[in-house]
Amino acid sequence: MRRFGLALAAWVTGAGVLLAQQVGDFNAPAKAKGYVVYAAEQQAVAAGKPGMLELRFQVVDGFHVNSHTPKSELLIATQVTLQPAEGVKAGALVYPAGTAYSFSFDPKDKLDVYSGAFTVKVPVVATAGAHTVDGSLRYQACDHAACYPPKTLPVQLVFMAK
Amino acid sequence: MKRATLVVGLMVVGISLMLWAGWHNLRERRMAMQKAEENHVVLVPDKGGAAGAASSDGEDRPKLRGKLAPGFTLVTLDGKKVSLSDYKGRAVLVNFWATWCAPCKIEMPWFEQLRTQYAGQGFEILGVVDDSDAGKDVITKVTQKTGVTYPILLSDSKVGAAYGGLDYLPMSFYVDKDGVVVEETAGLGSKDEIEANIKKTIAAGGSGAGKSTAGGL
Repeated sequence: MRRFGLALAAWVTGAGVLLAQQVGDFNAPAKAKGYVVYAAEQQAVAAGKPGMLELRFQVVDGFHVNSHTPKSELLIATQVTLQPAEGVKAGALVYPAGTAYSFSFDPKDKLDVYSGAFTVKVPVVATAGAHTVDGSLRYQACDHAACYPPKTLPVQLVFMAK
Repeated sequence: MKRATLVVGLMVVGISLMLWAGWHNLRERRMAMQKAEENHVVLVPDKGGAAGAASSDGEDRPKLRGKLAPGFTLVTLDGKKVSLSDYKGRAVLVNFWATWCAPCKIEMPWFEQLRTQYAGQGFEILGVVDDSDAGKDVITKVTQKTGVTYPILLSDSKVGAAYGGLDYLPMSFYVDKDGVVVEETAGLGSKDEIEANIKKTIAAGGSGAGKSTAGGL
């Protein structure tokens, strides 16, 4: 009986360690592939009811992009555009507030930017089932001294309505 | 003993099922994540570049310093043709900018002031707007706001490539009297740095070697 207990304890411990390794591996931070990363994840909302999805972006250290409401009309706002998708009704996107930023040689001129993590929220009502909504992100990025041409890149919302 | 064995066996089965369910759940989540990660949006400058591109020593673009400035003929906002060769014998700052470029608009009033200051020594500035498709109204709005009166030229598809690709802005090329690029800078520098480069450019050249700018001038 004692031998059984020891064997059981060893088996449970070993399995626990294995499981812990799996969890640790899963939570390892994804390697950044550029200067802003779309941290995509499978999402879920209640079918037929108003729900909220999220587009999570991460601006890599040292860079910033204009917010959705830059202080000058001449600057290019960060903007997500979603295509119509069957069974999905998307509402007006909710952008986060930006933070003040100024270039070192002109501290008085404050820009409104996103840096680090920022999330764009997408209100939806969807029929039951799996959904994919295609869209695009338009942005214009700068570092502490120079700016990069504006770009438009695809985004995709993948979610389940249960 | 048999009963104890049975209980232990049931415990093993139960715990195994729990662990399997946990592992299965993890695997599902990981697959979902992998699928979602295929949708990553990556914002990358066309040619790499780490934070702090304000360097005149970029390794990923041609270095024009010490070489003849590529020639060009571009059109101003009011339709007048201007060539770099028109300024032969004068020190010229060729500054590439865009309406969406905030640091560009910081240095433009400095350029205007320095142009006035050094005009007597033959110094001139040519501003080349890289996003010509922004429209003349928007471009004019920027020049009025920044107080710029030096010539603003509309970029074409060739001039940017000739000057190294313009992966980021602002970019400036200081061309001496002989058409040689004395200095090139990318990103916003200080007004003092700009003035030092202007002085250096005015002082350079004038050898009378009869050099001409590259590109058929």
